[in-house]
Amino acid sequence: MERILEVKDLHIHFNAFAGAVKAIRGVSFHLNKGETLAIVGESGSGKSVTTKAVTRILPDNAVIDNGEITYKGMDLLAMTEKEFNNIRGNEIGLIFQDPLSALDPVMKIGKQITETLILKQKMPKKEAEARALELMKAVGIPNAEQRFHEYPFQFSGGMRQRIVIAIALASNPQLLICDEPTTALDVTIQSQILELIKKIQKERNLSVIFITHDLGVVANMADRVDVMYAGKIVEEGTVEDIFYDPKHPYTWSLLASMPNLDTKGGDELMVIPGTPPNMLYPPKGDAFAPRNHYAMKIDFDREPPMFKVSDTHYAATWLLHPDAPKVEMPAHLKHRIELQLKEAEKYNG
Amino acid sequence: MLKYILKRVAAMALTLFIILSLSFFAIRLIPGDIAGQGAAPELKAALEARYHLDKPLLEQYVIFLKNFLSFDFGESINLYPRRPVFQIIRDKIPTTLQLNIFSLALTIPIGLACGIAAALKKNTWVDYAISAMVVFNVSIPSFVFATVMQYIFCYKLEWFPFLLELEDSSFSLSKFWSMILPILALSFGGISTITRYMRAELFEALNSEYMLLSKSKGLSKLQSTLRHALRNSFIPLCNVIIPMFMNLLGGSMVVENIFGIPGIGSLTSASIQTSDYYLTIAVLFFYSCISLTSMLLVDLSYGIVDPRIRIGGGKVRE
Ligand SMILES: Nc1ncnc2c1ncn2[C@@H]1O[C@H](COP(=O)(O)OP(=O)(O)O)[C@@H](O)[C@H]1O
Ligand code: SF4
Ligand SMILES: [Mg+2]
Repeated sequence: MERILEVKDLHIHFNAFAGAVKAIRGVSFHLNKGETLAIVGESGSGKSVTTKAVTRILPDNAVIDNGEITYKGMDLLAMTEKEFNNIRGNEIGLIFQDPLSALDPVMKIGKQITETLILKQKMPKKEAEARALELMKAVGIPNAEQRFHEYPFQFSGGMRQRIVIAIALASNPQLLICDEPTTALDVTIQSQILELIKKIQKERNLSVIFITHDLGVVANMADRVDVMYAGKIVEEGTVEDIFYDPKHPYTWSLLASMPNLDTKGGDELMVIPGTPPNMLYPPKGDAFAPRNHYAMKIDFDREPPMFKVSDTHYAATWLLHPDAPKVEMPAHLKHRIELQLKEAEKYNG
Repeated sequence: MLKYILKRVAAMALTLFIILSLSFFAIRLIPGDIAGQGAAPELKAALEARYHLDKPLLEQYVIFLKNFLSFDFGESINLYPRRPVFQIIRDKIPTTLQLNIFSLALTIPIGLACGIAAALKKNTWVDYAISAMVVFNVSIPSFVFATVMQYIFCYKLEWFPFLLELEDSSFSLSKFWSMILPILALSFGGISTITRYMRAELFEALNSEYMLLSKSKGLSKLQSTLRHALRNSFIPLCNVIIPMFMNLLGGSMVVENIFGIPGIGSLTSASIQTSDYYLTIAVLFFYSCISLTSMLLVDLSYGIVDPRIRIGGGKVRE
């Protein structure tokens, strides 16, 4: 499979008032052409910083200490700002978490969509407007002709997110990065937007990075999953690997804390104890150790490397070390997975 | 919109009435005597009779209001005896206006440029230098500025004349030369105000999410800044710039006095000092009109430049 994007050993810190915040501490992942990769993790784990690094819109106080970002064989970090401007929009589109603040409040939305077409693609105005209307219809905005001349505040949250998607699609990008595109929306609207993104992905054969803190939406969106914790990828695998055979205790906690359709009143949802580490002082050993039931002595001293589980499945936990004691995932999670597997078999068979 | 304007104008009229009444009574509390100290009692009596000052205060007030409502603003007592107050003010306006137009022509572009530069170069030496200038300007009152400049440039260096050349109303280079110092003195405050506002607003706009979107869709930094950040940051600036335009008419009491400029500003202090009751009231009234009008204009301007308010109230549709 062709790799469209590859991030290797990315390290980023922020110069903050209190010191250097080590937000990204060696992130590596790749994205195959035409697939959807979900990056999952608690808020603050560095998901947005990673996407901002890929699109090079990091704030001024961010420093990339190390790493490589390769898009279609091009070294994105080595490009000049001018060269990179042709990547933004044309190749990589970005969808933001909060569509309320992502749109310019005092510019008509039609103009916000046509802007790049006219300024960058040098498209004649009429043509650009026709294209914008087409896009607005494609993302499901009714009365596009009329709404073209309205301002963002005249739209609901879900409609605004559709506009942001239309803007991202305007220049026909091949890679779409969605940074928690539904977090700021009502639950009822969330699934509509997810469906829209899925539909667009299929129609245009886009490669998609889908960022979320909610494993619940991952199952029906993604092909592969990267689980992120405290500035690192701790587990990587296909959706099946992650949902049916998770290896990392953090992934276990995420899965166990996720409600699903057959969660009954009596069932207990697990809450992950403690909080993510303060990234001003990242811990010496595994960052998850203080919150981990299964932590061993080594976990507080040395960071685990990525252990290979299968060709598609990797996890960074000492539990996978051949000498580690045999530790199983929590019983109720195991039970749940078994139920789900049976369910899935029924559908398939 | 029309209803809103009418409401505001009615409120303005009420405010002006209160100001007028307050100034009518307050002015009598200021020590001083219309005839001047040691004037003959007959003279004083005659003067008082002419200006209704011999009647009970309340009756004076009624007469005064009646006249005022019929646009008879009274006559000057001491400063320009018997000249209608309206004429005096009208004649003073051009001088003040001339000076202030120059000052504003300096203030707005320099203020905007400094504010924009500081925001774009935030936390660099450019920003620090501009911020230092702002603090310097804000913390030193204009009369100190004016006096020090006058001392250095007019007295020590003799570059500029002490007083304004105002013999003719036409415009000449030497007249402009004589106006430079007061123009500068008038501009410093405004420049800092605009700089401060512009810097804060633009900085906020530059760090907004819509700038990220604008960049991520492929606009260059310059394009994003011009098309999105600047547009957004200009809107709140109406707040400071419109009142500055209105102040063109008002002038500055301090600067006009120091440089001996016979404009509205120096008229105000002179009329108070000479107990020129009706003149003082009229000048205060004039100032009140200016500031109330500019407040109204500021509010209305938001309705014009900001679509959220212009179309607002229009509900969000699904
Ligand atoms: N501009 C910034 N200055 C300092 N620290 C930042 C900045 N932006 C993000 N961070 C830090 O980077 C870490 C990751 O943030 P982010 O990527 O936004 O998390 P999330 O996974 O929720 O998207 C957090 O610890 C956050 O405090
Ligand atoms: S390496 Fe150790 S602390 Fe980290 S997740 Fe695995 S068992 Fe827990
Ligand atoms: Mg985020």
